[in-house]
Amino acid sequence: MEKISIGNWELSALVIMSFCTKIFLNYPRVMSESAGSAGWILSAYTSLLAFVIFTFMLRLYKKNYGMDLIDLGELIGGAPGRIITGVVIISFLIYFIPVNLREFSENMKIISLVISPISFVTLFFLGTMILAAYFGLEAITRVNAIAVPVISAGFILILVLVGQLYDFSKLMPWFGTGLQEIFIGGLPKLSYFSEIIIFFMLPPFLKKFNNFRKSSYIGFVFAGSFLFLSTLVFLLVFEYPTSTESFLPIFQLSRLINYGRFLQRGESVFLLMWSFAAMLYLSFGFFMLLYTFKKTLKLEYYKPLIMPFAVIIFSLSLTPPNLMSAIKLDTVYFLNWGWLISFAFTTLVFIAAGIKKRKGKKE
Amino acid sequence: MALLRKTLKEYLFFTEPDKPDDFVLEEGKDEGNESCNDAVKDGSGEKREKTEKVRKSKGVIKKLFTPEREDTACYGYDSNADNSEKNESDVKKESKDPESIKRKTSISKDVARNLEYMRKVYNVPLNGDVVIREFEIAFKDKTIPAFSIFFDGLVDRMLVNESILKPLMLLSNIEIKGKEDDIADYVQKHILPQSQMLLEESYEKVIFGINYGCCAIFIDGVDKVFVADAKGWEHRGIERPNAELVIQGPQEGFGEILRINTALIRKILKDEKLIVEDILIGERSKTPCSMLYIKDIVNDSLVQEVRRRLKGVKIDHLIDSGELEQLIEDSTYLPTPQVIYTERPDRVSRYLANGRIAIIVSGSPFALVVPATMWNLFHATEDEYVRFPYANLLRVVRLFAIFLTLLLPGIYIAITNYHHEMIPTDLLLAIEASREKVPFPSVFELLIMEVSFELIREAGIRIPGPIGPTLGIVGALILGQAAVSANIVSPILIIIVAVTGIGSFAIPNFSLAYSFRLQRFAYIALGATAGFLGISFGLFIMFLWIAKAKSFGVPVLVPYGPTTADVNKGNIFRNPTWKQNRRPDDLNVKSKNSQQEISRQWKINEEEN
Repeated sequence: MEKISIGNWELSALVIMSFCTKIFLNYPRVMSESAGSAGWILSAYTSLLAFVIFTFMLRLYKKNYGMDLIDLGELIGGAPGRIITGVVIISFLIYFIPVNLREFSENMKIISLVISPISFVTLFFLGTMILAAYFGLEAITRVNAIAVPVISAGFILILVLVGQLYDFSKLMPWFGTGLQEIFIGGLPKLSYFSEIIIFFMLPPFLKKFNNFRKSSYIGFVFAGSFLFLSTLVFLLVFEYPTSTESFLPIFQLSRLINYGRFLQRGESVFLLMWSFAAMLYLSFGFFMLLYTFKKTLKLEYYKPLIMPFAVIIFSLSLTPPNLMSAIKLDTVYFLNWGWLISFAFTTLVFIAAGIKKRKGKKE
Repeated sequence: MALLRKTLKEYLFFTEPDKPDDFVLEEGKDEGNESCNDAVKDGSGEKREKTEKVRKSKGVIKKLFTPEREDTACYGYDSNADNSEKNESDVKKESKDPESIKRKTSISKDVARNLEYMRKVYNVPLNGDVVIREFEIAFKDKTIPAFSIFFDGLVDRMLVNESILKPLMLLSNIEIKGKEDDIADYVQKHILPQSQMLLEESYEKVIFGINYGCCAIFIDGVDKVFVADAKGWEHRGIERPNAELVIQGPQEGFGEILRINTALIRKILKDEKLIVEDILIGERSKTPCSMLYIKDIVNDSLVQEVRRRLKGVKIDHLIDSGELEQLIEDSTYLPTPQVIYTERPDRVSRYLANGRIAIIVSGSPFALVVPATMWNLFHATEDEYVRFPYANLLRVVRLFAIFLTLLLPGIYIAITNYHHEMIPTDLLLAIEASREKVPFPSVFELLIMEVSFELIREAGIRIPGPIGPTLGIVGALILGQAAVSANIVSPILIIIVAVTGIGSFAIPNFSLAYSFRLQRFAYIALGATAGFLGISFGLFIMFLWIAKAKSFGVPVLVPYGPTTADVNKGNIFRNPTWKQNRRPDDLNVKSKNSQQEISRQWKINEEEN
């Protein structure tokens, strides 16, 4: 594999893109479903919590910086440790990539390609994933670094343009479905930050720990703000419980833009932005899947894996019989249990690696 | 069948990459001072050793046939320059080839043999423009036979008559008080007043000189040949650039004469550190090329890389810099250019001052500048000459032009086929009303017009001067009007196609405009297939492709992808001139600052006062 290096802003942009693309899917709605009119508090709470846990994880990880999760698995348990860690990450990726692929494709079909078969729409996303994998991580991160500011600007524009519909009384009751529901029941929503596990595969591409930490923090701050703003604006415009019925929250918001007869309904521009973000998100996930597989089995090249894995992902994405089943796989299973892998498993690996290293030093 | 099988195999099965690592422009490498460790590290050590062996073996063979020479040719080129990287097989082949041996063999003292050989080489009398003039030189009470050989039309006849033949034939009869017994010395010191003249010892160099407009003089009893620079071919003078016109700024463009072109740059830069390094390209044509750079600014590893690529070009004839561009660029299949192609000496000078390298090919009025980023291609020369707010307005217009050229037709198709809701109701009704009588689907209608437009444009260029613009007017106005009246296309589509065409003319780089015109058709197809999803797909792939591409080790999307320190330094929008303190970060130049941190010292003085 050629030598890859990722810049500071590129990592920040990856963090923003990975966490925020789900805004375009169902994030504001799920927040609203969980906490009612206090969805924005839940969003701020989970973002903050994820940030704190991430900081804690970084502290654990600091001494082993330069090694990714697979290397740490090997450090802990040799080849079996490496393979177990790899299989966990691969399983995680192979679960959420097809689900997200299906969701993005279904949404696209519903929004604009109503009579096209789902497989046709999926092929466009799959095509970008395959080609992006051929071009490699550097190309993906570079495009992402350029696209993220543009997409962010478009997203903020939508939030601003619906400003005339803001109604702060819609946020009442302030604590929505209750404090317990927000602060205890909302904990599994940490799974929205599950991509964190992928970021611990990237340190070998960044030279210094401080750069990694700083860039991740910047990414976290921006991503947390966007997630929070999306929920807040959504709830300012759609009051609970109407907000829980909105299929694609930001799409719905963009449809409400109306400034006279000429400037109205910006959903098509939103569509360009949204599909580009989805392509970036899926491509990055797909590349990391291939990279993890390659690294787990210590293969020399990842390119021969592209087509077989693309076929697997494509088949898996078409397995759910309909969109609702795909959403169920995402919001019911993944959102409730995803954090166990991304946060709990990763933290365990860091702790075990720390102990192992300390033992090794004593010996 | 075998070809089909091979192609299928290539696409379906993975084969281990065997290409060497791409060149990466790194910081702080001294020319010719690369560490051995690096070579071992990147796995190219073995390869380099092989190349060294080839070089050494070539040196041995060369020593056999040609004596060591240190002087550089009077006509500006070392004729050995292009042969420095021949591979082993070439060298072996050459050593067995009698013609090649003969060419490199030392010249005979017998003028008759030389004459016979030159007649054979130049196919005299079959070759009509070769002039061989036989004469005699008086030397110490004896006459010595001699002959001169040159190409009619390539040399200045007056110069040959007055400065070469006349002195040799007439002045030699005058008694000159000289002690020389050697005729070569005598002729050089007393007879020939030519300022640029060399004594060559091998046929190869003599033939190269003759082919390049020199007059060769063979004298009996002398195993050397006088090669006098007598170039006098017809050429175009310095004119205004045709493709890169500016309202404000210098009005000189390159011509076809290499030395005039290099002089134009030297005239602008007036920098003794400007190096004009000559390289011959073309096994047969031996086309002189010059590689220009400012020694104490440019990154040495970049110079090495450009030199390596230029010396690695093995073709028979090199006619134009456009050909050379295609032979040295990083990615052949990338739709966008990776080399700046310009006919303006001032633009080249600016790039040289920034730490880039220019390549000029004899006979081509366009210089190549490397490395190039996408933003360089988007900039126009005038951007630097006008005040910065105006330059930024022009850049915004240009960005808009790129958007129109690349995406407007595709977006129009996507909107009309998939996203009607995006069009305001009144406009939608107007479009629908205008399309009511058109029998074709909108994509077909658009393709008819786009192809027609390309046809008009191509015909307008190919057709002789005065008729060209007429054809454009006839094509655009009359045909367009007729097509609308005949209900073949809708009026709105004429507007779309015309605006797209105008957009493509506003792109400053001709090659980039071509690239966008080509890609436009892909976006039409994608827009027609999947609406905005298709457009997104196309944009995503295009960006990935460009993001992956490099121009001489520099990523073409730098400083935005990858992000470098120059991210806010006037790539999309220009900064005021006084703020442009530093040279581009991505070039890793030796001297980072292009002007003092405070370039307007008078401001401080003003405040102090």
